[in-house]
Amino acid sequence: MKPLLSVNHVTVRFGGLTAIDDVSFEVKPGELLGLIGPNGAGKTTMMRAIVGVVRPSQGSVMLEDLALNSLSIDARIRAGLALSQQLVKPFREINVQDNVAFAAGSRKTRTPTAALCHVNRQAERAQAFEALGRVGIVGYAQQSPKTQPLGVLKRLEMARALALKPKLLLDEPLAGLNSKEASALAQTIADINRQGMTIILIEHNLSEIMRICQRLVVLDNGRKIAEGLPRDAMNDPGVRLAYLGGDADAAD
Amino acid sequence: MLFIELIAQGLIQGSIYALIALGLTLVYGLLRILHVAHAALFTLGGYMGVLVTNQFDSLGLAMLVAMLVSGFAGVLMYRLCYEPILHQPPFVALIASIGLFIASEEIFRIVFGAYGLSYRNPPLQAQVALGPLSFKQAELLVMVGGALIIGVLALLQSRTRLGIACQATVTDPEMAESFGIDLKKVRYVNFFIGSALAGMAGVMVALLNNLVEPTMGSVASYKALAIIVLGGLGSVPGTLMAALILGVVEAFGTIYLGKLLDRNAIAFAFLILVLMVRPQGLFSRK
Amino acid sequence: MEYEISLVTAVGISVLFALSLNLITGFCGQISLGHAAFFGIGAYGSALLCKVGLPFLLSLPLAMLLAGGFGLVVGLASLRVRADFLAITTMGVGFLFVGVVRQQERLGGEMGISGIPDTGFSKLAFMLLTLGLCVVAALFSHYIRRSWMGQVFNAIAEDEDTTRVLGVDVPRFKLAAFAMGTALAGLAGALYANNLKFISPDSFGFVESMTVLSMVVIGGIGSVAGVTAAAIVLSLLPSLFTFVGEYKLLVYGGLLFLMMRFSPDGVTGALRRAMAHGRR
Repeated sequence: MKPLLSVNHVTVRFGGLTAIDDVSFEVKPGELLGLIGPNGAGKTTMMRAIVGVVRPSQGSVMLEDLALNSLSIDARIRAGLALSQQLVKPFREINVQDNVAFAAGSRKTRTPTAALCHVNRQAERAQAFEALGRVGIVGYAQQSPKTQPLGVLKRLEMARALALKPKLLLDEPLAGLNSKEASALAQTIADINRQGMTIILIEHNLSEIMRICQRLVVLDNGRKIAEGLPRDAMNDPGVRLAYLGGDADAAD
Repeated sequence: MLFIELIAQGLIQGSIYALIALGLTLVYGLLRILHVAHAALFTLGGYMGVLVTNQFDSLGLAMLVAMLVSGFAGVLMYRLCYEPILHQPPFVALIASIGLFIASEEIFRIVFGAYGLSYRNPPLQAQVALGPLSFKQAELLVMVGGALIIGVLALLQSRTRLGIACQATVTDPEMAESFGIDLKKVRYVNFFIGSALAGMAGVMVALLNNLVEPTMGSVASYKALAIIVLGGLGSVPGTLMAALILGVVEAFGTIYLGKLLDRNAIAFAFLILVLMVRPQGLFSRK
Repeated sequence: MEYEISLVTAVGISVLFALSLNLITGFCGQISLGHAAFFGIGAYGSALLCKVGLPFLLSLPLAMLLAGGFGLVVGLASLRVRADFLAITTMGVGFLFVGVVRQQERLGGEMGISGIPDTGFSKLAFMLLTLGLCVVAALFSHYIRRSWMGQVFNAIAEDEDTTRVLGVDVPRFKLAAFAMGTALAGLAGALYANNLKFISPDSFGFVESMTVLSMVVIGGIGSVAGVTAAAIVLSLLPSLFTFVGEYKLLVYGGLLFLMMRFSPDGVTGALRRAMAHGRR
């Protein structure tokens, strides 16, 4: 099966610091892949390199047959990526449903001319409603994001990303949630994956990752140190050392 | 004009710009606000300087008064104008500042008249010869005085507790507070110093031109903004370099490009060109 | 009647000018401190074209193209710089325009351009043309607001980075705002030149850029009705109260400051809050 995303020998350097060192991995269509590693391993940097916030010093990222290296962030999103960020940032002046509807209207916002020629928002609002349903926050549709708890906002982020109808979803979801909320959200992610969405999960919370991911890629100090089924990856001595060697919350 | 003469002229003008721009860069470094109204303190200093000199015949006293008055006026501006709107998006402070500046220019015009004031007995007008060049004493004061002040400031910023406190409040206000640094006090001191400097610059420029008038701050203020952008916002040495460079560029520019552009256009054309090549400014720390 | 007609025409031109900046600053959140330059480009463009014999009505779209073209260039330049640099860059553009025009004899130099030929319109007809264009501009602005373009502009104004992450080509939309806003300013400038029959560099400086910005800010950034109202009031102010004429700048400056200090979303925002308060 042809991979949906392939990261090829990517190296990212900031000044004298090497944040990512020759990392390669693939994501197959329909997979739920976990990208994990202790603090400072480079997970967030890797995600930024895929999305385009950061340009690799070496190597390339391919989405199916498309080379992403020279594309801007928005061009990559239009090509089929979607991002659900750790720091949630909804548009505060419009309600939850309209936040998602904006994303749903990506076809109409492709160019200024297209945007100028379209006024009607009904179809997008309907799509938004559907996306809100998939993440379980339909009841909040008319609410303002300003007053919502983190759990709801994270689901809003996800709904927004889903409304873009992406080929690949990059998700950094669980930070800041208590264990009950994290568990519920992880289950939602697993359900969405089962519906056919390919997801890369960047996460710190090992217990949930082990439960829902089909495959793991483990980073440490910018290098890939393990890859494979969750149980195998966690039994790898290098991985155990990386986590127990310095990171407090790996001890679960 | 002799090449060296042009450079000297440029450095003198640049020193004045530097004094004004320094106050601006201190404020931006601290609060991320473009404090356009800063130039009103420059003009205020100029007026104070002329009034006190004409009354008491002492330039030293005039300088002191100008710096104190401008300094306190600056702190007042911060207290009344900026402190209440710190939490708003940055354009709010910018536009409020511009409004304040335009209003104060008008107030100067109403209070002191539109035609300006002059020294009755302008001090420091004697010529001094330095090699092939001849300077007015006032011009030397500007260059030397300016350099001294800036040197002292740079030392203060890196060596004293207060200076380090200033830098800390810029990079991480919350952490600075938890170390017991009084944010309010640091900001007041910052505004005071920056404003006093502007007042001093006002006195010096009044000496050079023997004229203080309501709009003398405007072009200086806009150019000061251009300078702090060029110098890499918030960096004292960068601002100094950028100010001197701009002074020299203007001096040469008006001679060689005077047919195409006027003085201000040259300054801003330079700014725009630099920003196109290096969007982060000439000496940005990043 | 003639005085009233002139006044209404002048007010109409101000409204058009303010609505043009509203597209850039109000809708799209890009602070421009040099908008008078594009007003000036339109004015000078139309004046020069008419003086070489081009019919007045034809000079209007050409002035718009000229202003919009320069606007596109400035817009492209503005994409390279950060938000807080944008204000200063646009301010620089304003000074650059005045500086160039002042030095060029072919553009009239210090004295400007006089003797702009008759438009062929009577005073009344010119006024009606101006008002008609104002209405069109207001309706267009209102339409943009309701369209998906307005949605995108709101998003960009609130949070540019998130908007990018949602797949929007933000630079392209910013350029569109700049091009439209500057072209419209050029139209206002062309009308201004033909109304006054004389233009000089002094009319297109920083103070004028600040004046039009104050109309947008005081009206309530983004609100078409608010900006229109503010433009009408602020341009009438000097004539209605002759003492204000003397202190015009003081009033502008003071209003700007007070508005930002107490109600940054302008009069429209204050009204909205007052109404919400009244409902409780």
